[in-house]
Amino acid sequence: MPAIEATKLEREFKGGLRAVDGIDLAVAPGEVYAFLGPNGAGKTTTVRMLVTLLRPTGGEARVAGFDVARQPAEVRRRIGVALQEAALDLLMTGRELIELQATLHGIDPRSVRSRGDELLERVGLTEARDRRVGTYSGGMRRRLDLAMALIHEPQVLFLDEPTTGLDPVSRLTLWDEVRRLKGEGTTVFLTTQYLEEADQLADRLSIISAGKLVAEGTPGELKAQVGRPHLDITLSDGADPGDANRVLERFGELQPPGPDCHFSLRVGHGAADIAPVVRALDEAGLRVASLQVIEPSLDDVFVAKTGRHLEGASEQREAAADAAGSDGDR
Amino acid sequence: MTASLRAMGALVRRALNEILRVPGGAIPGVLAPTIFMLGLSAVFGKASHLPGFTASDFRTFIVPVGFLQGASFTGAATGVNLARDIEQGWFDRLLLSPTPRPVLLAGLVGSASLRALMPASFLLVVALIVGVHWPGVLGLVVAGALVMGLACVMALWAVMLALRFRTQQAAPLMQIGGFIAVLFTTAYAPQALLTGWLRDVARINPVTHVLDGVRQGFVAQVTWGKTWPAFVAVAGLMLVLGALAVRGLRRVGV
Repeated sequence: MPAIEATKLEREFKGGLRAVDGIDLAVAPGEVYAFLGPNGAGKTTTVRMLVTLLRPTGGEARVAGFDVARQPAEVRRRIGVALQEAALDLLMTGRELIELQATLHGIDPRSVRSRGDELLERVGLTEARDRRVGTYSGGMRRRLDLAMALIHEPQVLFLDEPTTGLDPVSRLTLWDEVRRLKGEGTTVFLTTQYLEEADQLADRLSIISAGKLVAEGTPGELKAQVGRPHLDITLSDGADPGDANRVLERFGELQPPGPDCHFSLRVGHGAADIAPVVRALDEAGLRVASLQVIEPSLDDVFVAKTGRHLEGASEQREAAADAAGSDGDR
Repeated sequence: MTASLRAMGALVRRALNEILRVPGGAIPGVLAPTIFMLGLSAVFGKASHLPGFTASDFRTFIVPVGFLQGASFTGAATGVNLARDIEQGWFDRLLLSPTPRPVLLAGLVGSASLRALMPASFLLVVALIVGVHWPGVLGLVVAGALVMGLACVMALWAVMLALRFRTQQAAPLMQIGGFIAVLFTTAYAPQALLTGWLRDVARINPVTHVLDGVRQGFVAQVTWGKTWPAFVAVAGLMLVLGALAVRGLRRVGV
């Protein structure tokens, strides 16, 4: 039985806006499933329906085996949710908040304190547990939010853009926690606009655009759908382009040579093709000045499926460019 | 059942915690009824000399109005706080818990009933200092219970509006309901001295019974005849507004 299952799930708002338009999805128990899409695509609306905060206007959804519309209380007992904005009472301390959450989930009062402290330690907030949440940083608030979502050991955890606005260190800490939860068998439904996040964490992912699912699969499967990897090769000055063409053609589909003896060769496997290609060029007396494997990215998948880039992708491209720039400066 | 009571207690504690952490926020609501009592009795003090006035001292007559005003402010504040919690997403956290919806509502409203005792206590102390008649222990207990009950009623009203409008901008509506309910009664003069539309409205306004119930110990003796209509009025209002608030709560989410 899937941990999360939606069939023709729909949500139409007043005025006829159909935010979610008949999506089907199935998430296996223990799976980390990423739900990708730009702002306004329908991610949060979908999550709010799955966690019983919003009534579907069409279709069905079951979470942990229970119908979200007909058995919402059963669903709530089995899910943990960290919504997009970490909704916390800033006047309360971390410990007070987590204990309130435990009480609302009906946890035995004798184990509320120990369970709360255990989770605060797990997310690295032991030192700050008696401080008001208003003094916490954004990353600390997210971690507290996650701890609160885990207080009742949910079968299914929903994380709605958990790392948006976080610094890289906090982001990595949260990723580690998601991996640990997966190791413990928790199903994680993760919405994100960060492609790298989906790539790093998800067993499978789907892409939602304008309320419809436009792609679903493992990151590898989806990348394979948009094209094979290619090698960007630049030969040393003086190399004969004709010789290079004859060698490279044996390994794959060769694009016309660019300036400065630059070649783009579409290959079957990516990194595994490097050694035979370089060996063949060497045997032909052609020296390689630089070589780079270009794998299709999830952004390529996103563009192919939706015709647009994901907002987060541009940030990531810029970050990658910055990183490359600083590498080059060193 | 025990888990529900614990959840309710936790929500009440959270609301009370806010007073302790931001005491300044509670000051206007605590002071306003006392200022109202002092100001009105200074201006209209001689009204008690009118023939047919049921109290020998206007301050004694007006103090119970301050109690109900305090309850009304507290109830409205509960709704405003809920609207803020809705805006900030905190309320989603409550809705995501398996706690039954009526228990969530009881936690919110229960905190209002306790918070209403703050302005009432302050007002009582000031009133006794300035010479208001001591209502007796029974009169005080009846008044306290009715103040707590009316705070619940006004909190239900405000919660219903908060759930409907989901924004703190609805605060004036929450407050105006309390003003009308409390002041369109026998607040300023006994029923026999009221004239025109105010007399008619005060006659049918159930809060008039609540005010009479709170006032009886101050202006005379506590009697069963004044007590039961007050509690029936509170219970009836709680039933109606409670049903509407639960309906509003069920319309939020699944």
